[in-house]
Amino acid sequence: MTAGSASLRPALELVEVVKEYAGNPPVRALDDVSLRVSRGELVAIVGPSGSGKSTMLNVMGTLDLPTSGSVLIDGREVSKFSDRRLSAVRSHSIGFVFQSFFLLDGVSALDNVANGLLYSGVREHVRRARAAAALETVGLQHRLGHVPSQLSGGERQRVAIARAIVNEPSIILADEPTGNLDTASSETVMSLLRELNTSGSTIVVITHDREVAASLPRQVAFRDGRIESDSALAEAR
Amino acid sequence: MNTGANEGASGSARLTPSRLRPSDVVRVGGSGLRSRKTRTALSALGIMIGIAAMVGVLGLSESSQADLRKQIEALGTNLLTVAPGTGFGGGDGVLPEEAAAKISRIGPVEVTADVVTLQEQPLRNDLVNQNETNGLTAVATDLDLLDTLNGSMSAGDWFNDATASTSNVILGSVAAERHGITDVSDGVQLLIGEKWFTVIGVLEPFPLAADLDRSVLIGKAAAESVFDVELNPSIVYVRTHPDFVDDVRAVLPATADPASPEEVDASRPSELLETQDAIEDSFTNLFLGLGAVSLLVGGVGIANVMVIAVIERRNEIGLRRALGATRAHIRRQFLTEALLLSTLGGVGGIGLGITVTWAYARAQGWDVVVPTLAVVGGMAAALLIGAVAGLYPAMRAARLAPTEALRAA
Ligand SMILES: Nc1ncnc2c1ncn2[C@@H]1O[C@H](COP(=O)(O)OP(=O)(O)OP(=O)(O)O)[C@@H](O)[C@H]1O
Ligand SMILES: [Mg+2]
Repeated sequence: MTAGSASLRPALELVEVVKEYAGNPPVRALDDVSLRVSRGELVAIVGPSGSGKSTMLNVMGTLDLPTSGSVLIDGREVSKFSDRRLSAVRSHSIGFVFQSFFLLDGVSALDNVANGLLYSGVREHVRRARAAAALETVGLQHRLGHVPSQLSGGERQRVAIARAIVNEPSIILADEPTGNLDTASSETVMSLLRELNTSGSTIVVITHDREVAASLPRQVAFRDGRIESDSALAEAR
Repeated sequence: MNTGANEGASGSARLTPSRLRPSDVVRVGGSGLRSRKTRTALSALGIMIGIAAMVGVLGLSESSQADLRKQIEALGTNLLTVAPGTGFGGGDGVLPEEAAAKISRIGPVEVTADVVTLQEQPLRNDLVNQNETNGLTAVATDLDLLDTLNGSMSAGDWFNDATASTSNVILGSVAAERHGITDVSDGVQLLIGEKWFTVIGVLEPFPLAADLDRSVLIGKAAAESVFDVELNPSIVYVRTHPDFVDDVRAVLPATADPASPEEVDASRPSELLETQDAIEDSFTNLFLGLGAVSLLVGGVGIANVMVIAVIERRNEIGLRRALGATRAHIRRQFLTEALLLSTLGGVGGIGLGITVTWAYARAQGWDVVVPTLAVVGGMAAALLIGAVAGLYPAMRAARLAPTEALRAA
């Protein structure tokens, strides 16, 4: 094996992933989904409501396990991992950005971001130092002491993005990060994600906005739990 | 794909586990409490009251018992008293004159003293009304009284042969107070039965012979010569060898008055205090029971607050799981919160309990005793309650699936 093939190893890969939710009849939220995300990519996931986008992101982020198929993160097949090991994967390899931010109330922006390193066993002063750097990356170095209620929606989401990148994850997963934001804030957040991608981050972002999706390097469209189209495959063809 | 799988295997060996430092467990638990101050304070209050009740009750009962024991010790458990009782014949209310002498011939008896209550009333001076005795009694005593009762003087000197046979008095502590006499150097005089007596001493209180505290004492010889009375003892104090107290007590009535032993009461004053001790014990148990109930209620309060916290903070739990927290980390966080809550209540309760003990014991003039057992036990009880109350909510929080916890409320 050469150094070259190691660097080509995908950041994340889904192989024939099926996710069924129990019920009568059972819901097949993901139906034989295979997807490979290489390092440095910025992928937009689009598709109608209920098509399985969030389900796929949760499976990618090991918040949920597939019914069948395999999930590889940094080359590790995680679909048979114990809860402890899945948590370890999340703490080191994955950064999440959610539609509703999920910042802790009454906790400063700095400490909210520092929490991104809480479960890596990093000492508090190191966490804070790195959190301050991450907040500078997202352009909020002047808001370190602000609590979420003192921040605008766009600023909150930027704090959440800082929290996602503070542990330098292999991949950032964002589920409709602009879903709760006005147009101007949405643009700030999207251009921030593009900047992060330019400086090396691998990002998968779900969006409802076709225009936003079209502006990103790669689009994967979902329908009824399946991949309807993938711009990367279309180009390859 | 094969290479990828192989690398995956080697990669998983390098996987660094999630880790939450112990100091961070405390920090995370504490911040959970800080963000809900009112609720934290109120639920800690339940535990605080329970612990305060237990520490206070134990502290007060220890302090009062220590005080009683001090009194008993001062008095000695080997003191017996012999007094004319109310036997079958109704009794004539007197002991034979030679009772004390006979009693002192019982082997284990170490020292005896007898006193005679006089009819004559002590007055401050000849201007006051005959009835204004201030509730004081004139008593004739023999010289051994001070030794027998382990008494001591707060001013002046105890009788000697000379002062006991002339017109001198020694005042009990209460009697001195009622007459406002603290100093005997200037020869204050009192009137007993129209005769003037000079105050030559004031006694410290007798722990269990409160009657004597209200007495004006004169020597037997003086009583005999001045008032010409029969010296039938009103009460005989008997100090025995500590190992033979019960034996001596059994033979006292027959020794004191062989003619009618059933008209003689032989008692042991320290028993009174011991009974008092036992009564306080049962009160202590009652209050301890109440304290335990309020601890239980406090524990239920903590469990309640924690269950609500888990429901309200589903998103936080989900977020922490997304950030890499294991189930164990979540469980530890909520358990720590419950423990901190109960520790807060425990520390506050111990503080309050000690304060109450201190204030009340001081007001009673007792030495303040805070039993270590109450403090250690109170803290242990608080922690135990916190652990038990926090366990179920913590397990519920840990069981929550990350995706479910992250669903927007
Ligand atoms: N926990 C669950 N139990 C049962 N069914 C579920 C569960 N979660 C999702 N589903 C179903 O799976 C399907 C895919 O849901 P998912 O949330 O992935 O859609 P989505 O593409 O993210 O939609 P949206 O754009 O509205 O967020 C839906 O039909 C949904 O009802
Ligand atoms: Mg969704």
